[in-house]
Amino acid sequence: MTDMDSAALETPTVADFARTFRRIQAEIHKVIIGHEQAVEEMLSALFAGGHVLIEGVPGTGKTTLVKTLGLALNLSFNRIQFTVDLMPADITGTRVIETGADGRREFTFQPGPVFCHILLGDEINRATPKTQSALLEAMAELQVTVAGITHVLPPPYFVMATLNPIEMEGTYPLPEAQLDRFLFKVRLNYPDEAELTRIISSTTGPEDAGIEAVFHVAEAPQRIEALKKLVREVMVAPEIEQYAARVVRATQPQNSRFVSDEARAVHDDMVNRYVLFGSSPRGAQALILGAKVRALLDGRANVAREDIDRVAVPGLAHRIMLNYAAHSDGIDAVHIVERVLKSVRAARA
Amino acid sequence: MRVKGLRTIVNRRALNPAMYPRTNERFPDEKLGRILTQLRALRSRLNLLAIQHGLFYSLAMLIAAGAIVYACAFTLSPLNFMIIAAIAAATAPVAIVTATRTAWSMRASTARAASLADERAELKGRLATIVTIAQHRRRGPMWSYLVEDTLSRSEEFAPARIERRRISKGIFALAGALVLAGIAWPISKIRHAQIAAANQRPDDLTLDLNDLHLRPADPGDDSGVTVSADPATMRQLQARLAHDGLDAGQGNSTSLDSLVNHARDLAGNLQSKLTGQKSQPQRLNLKLADAADPFAQDKDRNNNFAQQHKHNDNPAGQFQRDQPAGKEGDLPQNPVHNENQDQDRPAGAGDMGNQSQGGKNSADDNQDQTADANSQQNGDQGSNGGAAHGIGADPDSLFGAPAQAKLGSEGFEIAIEARPLDKGPKGAGHAYEPPKVRTTLSTDQEPDEPVARTDVPSEDRTTIKRVFER
Repeated sequence: MTDMDSAALETPTVADFARTFRRIQAEIHKVIIGHEQAVEEMLSALFAGGHVLIEGVPGTGKTTLVKTLGLALNLSFNRIQFTVDLMPADITGTRVIETGADGRREFTFQPGPVFCHILLGDEINRATPKTQSALLEAMAELQVTVAGITHVLPPPYFVMATLNPIEMEGTYPLPEAQLDRFLFKVRLNYPDEAELTRIISSTTGPEDAGIEAVFHVAEAPQRIEALKKLVREVMVAPEIEQYAARVVRATQPQNSRFVSDEARAVHDDMVNRYVLFGSSPRGAQALILGAKVRALLDGRANVAREDIDRVAVPGLAHRIMLNYAAHSDGIDAVHIVERVLKSVRAARA
Repeated sequence: MRVKGLRTIVNRRALNPAMYPRTNERFPDEKLGRILTQLRALRSRLNLLAIQHGLFYSLAMLIAAGAIVYACAFTLSPLNFMIIAAIAAATAPVAIVTATRTAWSMRASTARAASLADERAELKGRLATIVTIAQHRRRGPMWSYLVEDTLSRSEEFAPARIERRRISKGIFALAGALVLAGIAWPISKIRHAQIAAANQRPDDLTLDLNDLHLRPADPGDDSGVTVSADPATMRQLQARLAHDGLDAGQGNSTSLDSLVNHARDLAGNLQSKLTGQKSQPQRLNLKLADAADPFAQDKDRNNNFAQQHKHNDNPAGQFQRDQPAGKEGDLPQNPVHNENQDQDRPAGAGDMGNQSQGGKNSADDNQDQTADANSQQNGDQGSNGGAAHGIGADPDSLFGAPAQAKLGSEGFEIAIEARPLDKGPKGAGHAYEPPKVRTTLSTDQEPDEPVARTDVPSEDRTTIKRVFER
């Protein structure tokens, strides 16, 4: 660790943030071939203080991505393979009877796998809703409560859950309330031919990727927390906040009984036709937080509209519930978000 | 707004220096001041352009509309002028209001100038954020960084780079309007000279009523022709018009016709004011003569001339509204004479030429007829080719070498505008659509050329000479 890094630990600057971010990216890409946008969005969610839902078909590197991130950040990492018989206590921890040195037996709390900095919930949709909900408290409040005792999770806490979009038989789709707790939803697509060739050559050879941890293990949590604090300090002009609010409002169908004050929202026929429920206010928070990270990466201390636009799809798509008409017409939430951005830009012009 | 905020900061610092330590916060505020000064300069430039836009376009519209109306006053008929002037009068205020509203919407506040600079210099909201956050007391720990970062890009949002123009594009519209006015001025001068020349050139043309080919004229068509004739001929003209269905407008007086007449007169008055011409331009006087029924014409003429002296609004003058003052009572002085008719006619056949004198004094009518007949017999050799071989010719010079006559057979078409006085602007008028008159030479009529001398068989010469000697 250099002297500059030591200074950055105290008060990281915009330049520190961008440099650290790029360095983590570079380390991850030693292992992960391609998926540049997915990696950037995942790191953005990390520094914005959110959690990520990763959707991708098997074999596209979801688990590898998360493991590599843990190695690069030098943070504690746990992995839970969600199955249908997984119980909440299996992930939060439970009380066990232990015999003390004096021979007395007492209940002691045995922390579950959620007690770590980075948690990978693999195929989270295979667990029962009861188990999925157990993760909610950990994700939202960074704490778990077992037998009436609340245990705080050590910051930084970052949950990455993967969703397998195929083999839906016997799965439990995540409820909207739980989906809403993920800051971004990142989609991992199939690699193209060039990327696939590189994957083959890099993963089937004898040599190791040689990932270097960006932070020292002792100070990694503090460094990451300091950078997360810096993100929060990025300035947002009121008109940018209005823009984000307008985008979120535009995702809400005007014919919904939960929508009031219709006249002030941007109307879009596509939204009214295909959307059952639009984004919640958490979507607006996700837009601003993600945009702040984007601004820092661009060397700015202020958020611009371009930053909002850039994070709109990962921040809003998983919060929009589509109706049957959308599914029958082949419309997905990404289409809706892109259409909403277009409408809001046009209304602004 | 920004200036006020800065002053507030400075005043607070002066009041409580401990709360605002100069060492740490002075520099960001000074830098902020430099940024805001630059933004104010940009704002001034944008507002100046907005003012220029409104001013230039408004002036351009005024000048262009004025030039068009002025040029049209010289070149168009009253009805067309009225239409153009109405369009110009309606368009110009709308255009001026639109230009003013556009200029108003172009005005820039400091926030708007900042947004514009952000957009054009691709500063990604730095300036807009600074302008917004500068109003707040709590600016956050990254404020200094933002100010410093923005100031380092001050060249990118220099007013001259954000808005290069100092003069609005409206200057081109103004220049175009001035060019239009520059074109309209010589047009009006040329037209003015043409009208003045036309006023000094009285043109009379005498035609036979039977040779007229009548057809409806376009509304507002001003052919510049005034028709005058004796009352009988006028009645016959009206009868023909009625027969041809061309006087429908006279029979069906509607409020629309009256409105059109009023509008035409209004436009004419406006044109007169604009062009500075007090009277109507001199017109071509088309004098009609009815050669088909000279006896009936004589009878009608005598009756009507007697009435004409009793009433000023004589029927003969009902088609003479557009004639210059002093000519209203005039009747054709040079009626067209068909040579064959003249020769076949009794002594009173030359009465048509007497109509002008009849307008002066009906008591001298017979005397005038005799004098007229004498003048005919004496031969109007300058104008009537038949006189050289007709009555009063020297029998000894009757015969000679045949001449090569120039025979013309072409007709001509001319549009006339004629409105009865009582249907005019001062009367209870209704629109009269002036007929267009086509005059072709009658098949029985020799061209208006001297009859060519021809060979006379020797056995006939004695007979012919005897006739002339008698």
